[in-house]
Amino acid sequence: MTRPALYLIATLLTCTIWAQSPGDRVPSVTMAPVGNVQLRAGGTAELILDFRIGTDFHINSNKPKADYLIPTVLKLTPSEPVTIAEVKYPAGEDMSFAFSPNEKLSVYSGDFSINAVLKAPAGTAAGTYAIKGELRFQACDRSACYPPRSIPVQFQVDVKK
Amino acid sequence: MKRNAVVFVMLVVVITGMLAVGKYLDRSRKGGPVKLIGDVHNVPAPDFELPSLDGRKVKLSDFRGRAVLLNFWATWCSPCKIEMPWFVDLQKQYGKDGLVVLGVAMDDTDASKIAEFAHDLGVNYPVLLGTDQVSDDYGDVRALPTTFYIDRNGTIVAKAVGLLGRQEIEDDIKKALNASYKPPVTQPNRTATAVQPKRSKEATQ
Repeated sequence: MTRPALYLIATLLTCTIWAQSPGDRVPSVTMAPVGNVQLRAGGTAELILDFRIGTDFHINSNKPKADYLIPTVLKLTPSEPVTIAEVKYPAGEDMSFAFSPNEKLSVYSGDFSINAVLKAPAGTAAGTYAIKGELRFQACDRSACYPPRSIPVQFQVDVKK
Repeated sequence: MKRNAVVFVMLVVVITGMLAVGKYLDRSRKGGPVKLIGDVHNVPAPDFELPSLDGRKVKLSDFRGRAVLLNFWATWCSPCKIEMPWFVDLQKQYGKDGLVVLGVAMDDTDASKIAEFAHDLGVNYPVLLGTDQVSDDYGDVRALPTTFYIDRNGTIVAKAVGLLGRQEIEDDIKKALNASYKPPVTQPNRTATAVQPKRSKEATQ
């Protein structure tokens, strides 16, 4: 790599770091693409949805330890007649943070998965059904918390006879 | 080769500067109150009028002459819950010196829930119901807690994003209290001057 290019990268990095104060950071949660979901009419299928939380952030688990905390919730709306029989959340990790060393919070950090059990009643016509929804979460880092946000969740299910 | 590097660096600096100025001008053109962008030290605190939990309308400029600790918080914010009892103590300690603590709740929930939460923490200072407008005016407050320390003249002397130690909070309070108050200079008003003698006359009758 040429020296001017190195200078350019170093300067851009410096500008980026300079431009970001703690309040400028936006917590991110992303969902991995969902593969081909197969479901037989009259049967069920368990689907694993994988999520990744941005470095240095955590979000409340589905069962936070205090009423005032906002839980992570997956809401799915399937195309009829496909239904969501169950949503299984992972247990949160009990963690304490510098801002509250005596209090353990139940959180997700890094990668986590939510399982959704899909059901197609007997007689469901063969075809592709869209499932839409959202994951609602509220994130914090080691010293600050950020307003609740939702990310879209979308995938398709192939129902076969 | 060296000259190329200098040109690159200068280009980056110029483009970054242009983007910053462009963003500022774009916001300014929209009118309304001045919004805080970037470094907020020694800039006037944007004025606002917000409803308080007890139903009053509270205006920031009503506290001119006093130092204001303006704390943006929310009920879902664990770090906020840690520092609020400190603010209660600091309000007691420095209230006589002219400190006013104002909490701005950024919740999207019922005022009654916010009131219950504040009551449970023993909050002894006014809690106001925040709006997107006031968040925007203060530089798009997203990370909570975010606290502005405003001196007696309405100038922001410090800003803290995220939970700090109690000592750091106290140091910033002292910074806000230490500025001497300069009452705003009012322009002589001819109408007011003309009316004044009449009032005095009535008072002596």
